[in-house]
Amino acid sequence: MSIDNPPTIEVDQPEEPTNRPAADHRLKEWLSRGYVRRIIALSIVIGLLIIPLAWVVIHFMNLSGAPASAIMVEIERTMFVFTVVSAPLMAITLAILFYSLTGWGRVTGEDPPMQESPAIRTNGTAVVLWIAATSILAGFLVIWGLVELATITSYANGSTPANQQPNGQKAIDINVTGQQWVWTFQYPDQGAVTSDTLIVPINVPLYFNVTSKDVVHDFWVVELGIKIDANPGAITNTGVTPDKLGTFNIRCAELCGLHHAYMQTKIQVVTQAEFDAWVREMGGKRTV
Amino acid sequence: MSAPVTEPLYPTTGEPVSINARRNRMGIWLCIVSDITGTVALLVAYSYLWSLNVNNAWAPPNDAWAPPTTFWLIVLGTAVATALMWWGLRQIDQGNRRGLMLAASLSMLIILVTFIGQIVQLSTFPFGPSDGAYASATFWLCIGSAIHLSLLLFLTQAIMGRTRAGRITQGNSSHVRLVAMYMTWATIAILLGAIFATVMTTSPNTNSPTFGTFQE
Amino acid sequence: MTDTAVVHQTHDVPQPKQHGKPGGILRHTSIVTGTALGLVAAIVTYAIGSHFFVPWGTTNADASQVGLNALVAATYFAWVIFFMIGIGAFAGPIRWALGHDLTHDDAEYMAGKDQGKWRYWKYTTDHKVVGTQYLIMAMFLLGLGGLLAMLIRTELGITWAEVFDPNFYNSLIGTHGIVMIIALIIVVTGPFGNFILPIMIGARDMAFPRLNALSFWLLFAAIPPLASNLFLGGIRDGWTVYQPLASQAPIGMIGYQVTIIVFAFSTGVASVNLITTSVTMRARGMTWNRVPIFVIGVIASSVMGLVWFPMFQYSQMLALSDKVIATSFYNPIMGGSVWLYENLFWLLGHPEVYVVVIPGTAALMELMVVFLRKPLFSYKVAIAGFAGVVGISSIVWVHHMYMTGWAPSAGYPFMLSTELISIPFGFLVLVMLGTLWRGKPWTRLPMMCVYAVIWDKVVGGITGVYLSDVPVDQYMHGSMFVVAHFHYMLMGAGLFAAIGATAYWFPKMTGRMLDERLGSIGFWVAFFGFQLTFGSMFVAGLQGMPRRVLQFDNAFNISNWLSTVGAYTIGIGMLIFLYAVITSWRSGKPSGSNPWGGKTLEWQTETPVPLENFPVLPVVTSDPYGYGVPDPYDAVLEADKQPAGVA
Ligand code: HEM
Ligand SMILES: [Cu+2]
Ligand SMILES: [Cu+2]
Repeated sequence: MSIDNPPTIEVDQPEEPTNRPAADHRLKEWLSRGYVRRIIALSIVIGLLIIPLAWVVIHFMNLSGAPASAIMVEIERTMFVFTVVSAPLMAITLAILFYSLTGWGRVTGEDPPMQESPAIRTNGTAVVLWIAATSILAGFLVIWGLVELATITSYANGSTPANQQPNGQKAIDINVTGQQWVWTFQYPDQGAVTSDTLIVPINVPLYFNVTSKDVVHDFWVVELGIKIDANPGAITNTGVTPDKLGTFNIRCAELCGLHHAYMQTKIQVVTQAEFDAWVREMGGKRTV
Repeated sequence: MSAPVTEPLYPTTGEPVSINARRNRMGIWLCIVSDITGTVALLVAYSYLWSLNVNNAWAPPNDAWAPPTTFWLIVLGTAVATALMWWGLRQIDQGNRRGLMLAASLSMLIILVTFIGQIVQLSTFPFGPSDGAYASATFWLCIGSAIHLSLLLFLTQAIMGRTRAGRITQGNSSHVRLVAMYMTWATIAILLGAIFATVMTTSPNTNSPTFGTFQE
Repeated sequence: MTDTAVVHQTHDVPQPKQHGKPGGILRHTSIVTGTALGLVAAIVTYAIGSHFFVPWGTTNADASQVGLNALVAATYFAWVIFFMIGIGAFAGPIRWALGHDLTHDDAEYMAGKDQGKWRYWKYTTDHKVVGTQYLIMAMFLLGLGGLLAMLIRTELGITWAEVFDPNFYNSLIGTHGIVMIIALIIVVTGPFGNFILPIMIGARDMAFPRLNALSFWLLFAAIPPLASNLFLGGIRDGWTVYQPLASQAPIGMIGYQVTIIVFAFSTGVASVNLITTSVTMRARGMTWNRVPIFVIGVIASSVMGLVWFPMFQYSQMLALSDKVIATSFYNPIMGGSVWLYENLFWLLGHPEVYVVVIPGTAALMELMVVFLRKPLFSYKVAIAGFAGVVGISSIVWVHHMYMTGWAPSAGYPFMLSTELISIPFGFLVLVMLGTLWRGKPWTRLPMMCVYAVIWDKVVGGITGVYLSDVPVDQYMHGSMFVVAHFHYMLMGAGLFAAIGATAYWFPKMTGRMLDERLGSIGFWVAFFGFQLTFGSMFVAGLQGMPRRVLQFDNAFNISNWLSTVGAYTIGIGMLIFLYAVITSWRSGKPSGSNPWGGKTLEWQTETPVPLENFPVLPVVTSDPYGYGVPDPYDAVLEADKQPAGVA
């Protein structure tokens, strides 16, 4: 059956709603309609096109070396999962959108069209299904989000599960000061060594105390997936355990005036031995 | 919605004045709603800074807090003026125009005195606006109430003027009601300010970090 | 739908005493007297002030800077207040206080009767005049903001050099942002809420005609302080003007603060007026289930504006106070808090995006039924959607503050509320999809905007879902990804909907058709340019490019080049569209009174719309969605639900 010749016989035979055909019968009839089938097919095609986006997104995020911590892994997993689970609804929406451009016919010209479309005022089934689907989706996203947030918070606080924390070390405290337009890192436990690049050992939990001496800055360690505002007059905290050797980016993510764009530095994740050597060298130079 | 034939009609649209009054009442309610948000913003600023005590700089120099009595005197003045306006409404609804005139004039005078009191309070604080967060927040509670009082001054004297011009009559007294409604809200706003200023002085947070450092 | 209603004939009504000629002082006031008085007052204030200004209560701050700030603020306020005096805004309250009430003749004069085009330059109360003024103002602001956007993209496209001084670049961003935000707040409710809405509900004018004029002229008065900032050091701190950065800014920042304070009054007054009009002035028979959906959308947006705008206003009053009397609300050294600012700001800042998106969406719902000739799908679900968004919008602001460290555990409840708001928002999508379902679209420009907007909402919505999640936001916050996301919502869903609404109501407002061919070319060029611009901005964000920077790693070059190409494409498209608007307004094809065959009341009255809108007030007997034929598939169920035929 196609849209061009819908069944017209029923128009003249009003029945009591109680005589409506059984639900499964109506569903079958509905599914046999040409436009329904085409929209379903279109949804599947669009869905299949959207899902690869999940990889594309992660690919862009990984270009500069991410993920370099368990937190970043969780972030990327969340992006991936969110893309995949919302793909069906997106696909259906877009399928209906594209299909309706011409699928049920269209009218051009200067004058208001005379022939009118079916007077569908509402449809209980569609409304209930849609609300159920969006609620379930939103519910899933919320629950996933809450769990993930708890997870990354515990990672940030250095209380990672033992298997992720090889030596069960104590976290290294680092005091981060933002100031127009430089970052300063101070290691209180390492004899108050100060540096303007962040040098840290791999697989050791780091715990940051962050503040600012002037305006609001934002301490963003890009490939490690942590970010926290540096506020004047307050100390904020975050933490991470780097698990990849290399040099990564620290950028200021809050407009802080003239040279905000240049308020960047690097974080070098090195081995414990290299880190100790660096501390010794720095400590020799400027012990406080 | 046809009105009784005797009801006065509103000159510019020709509708019965009660329809117009209903419309105005809704307008005033909406204005009050948005005024509430503004007042809440000030109260939030006050109580939030109080709770944080950033850089240990909430308290005024030498702990010279503003004396609470003045705040309460201002509340008292506004409340009495408001009560008078409601009383005036009762009078005009009973046909007593002179009663309303009396109420409105007294109300206006009291608001005027209260307003002057507010200005005096603002200029005699034992601190200046730049003496820390408490000083700032208190100044703004008072500026807020000064703004309210100056509006009330205009409204009360307008009721006087309109009564004198014969625009307020027994069957057409809705403007008095509107003004009284607004005055009631203004009293509440000023009252809230007074409560905050009385209750929240010394900050509960005693170990805030020193600016720019990691020392608590 | 129209029927005769009893109207009180005003010439039978006892009139108050006529003081002087009708209109009184307003016969002599206009934009000319307003501007003149405003300028003189500003100059005098500055001149006197710079001699005598005594900085008040400055024991801690740099007294001369505070004095200068106070002087500039006083100058701006002098401009605003005396402009309003000069244009006659205070005549109303004064007459009220004196008991010199308006007569019917006064009211007609003030509505612009027999004043020709000159009435557009006066304190005119007719809602149609105000609506037209708002349309022009919105186009002006969009043009200004668009020009600044082109400059921003030029800088970002020239990746190998600094084109502008960084300070100037920062003020470009800030000014572009706030100009666009103001433009989009007014772009639907201003022109169409004022011009169309009263006709749509069968009223003769707004509930408070004088407040209507007040809202527009306050907006007008607020623009010069904003625009002048570019010559006074600029708004260098983004449209959010976070503290305490903003307190370092030069005096241009005061222009921002004055503008917001005045603009907030303007929005507040407009919201009071729109809500009261929609609630109390509907034609007889227009019960709440017969109200056009556009009206509901405008109410929803006005409620949010009314309730939350004062937060923004007070945040700026306190900021101004920090500058002119050296208080320390946001100065952490003296006990102020940056989080206080951020909370106050986002308490409006978030509802604001819905203030922008909702009226546009409602306008599209209103017009799509006409072009599909189908009833609106599930009117009640649409209302529930608007109500849900309004309700939840007030408890999500902290999602802008996930990364401030303000209250780390607030992330949990606010993530919940933020993701919940997608459910009522989904209702609105359902209504639009359901209306499209099985319809044959009449593919004119307004209808095509519906398609464009739904696409943009899907993109903006899905990226919004990422951002509402705290862990993901930990990566995305403050990056170009956010910029791309909110442009999909604000520009893709807000501005493009406003373009649809403009194309749809253009014939009613101007009596002429908008040139379909040119208009469409402009729109589609802009649309595809938009996808390119912000599509590639997503990529830059994913790669880790922060926002509000003018130089960046080479890794971001390619996406920025594409983005700039896209931006110029938008610019070209918008210019074509603007050209179409201007030429059609002057010499387009006359449209007649109901070119689209719409059933809402505004199409039932003549064009140009007479001063009091309807010769006789209409009585409504059904909702305006009685389109369509019985569904051949399930005529059984639908047959008895058909609304009675409408005239
Ligand atoms: C309706 C149209 C538009 C609206 C409502 C709008 C709104 C905004 C807002 C609110 C900001 C934020 C400013 C800030 O962070 O302080 C912004 C920034 C920006 N806009 Fe627009 N904009 C619009 C059109 C455009 C166009 C057409 C372009 C050009 C391609 C553009 C490019 C930009 C850029 C590059 C930024 C700066 C991002 C950054 O570095 O922070 N915008 N816009
Ligand atoms: Cu920065
Ligand atoms: Cu938001």
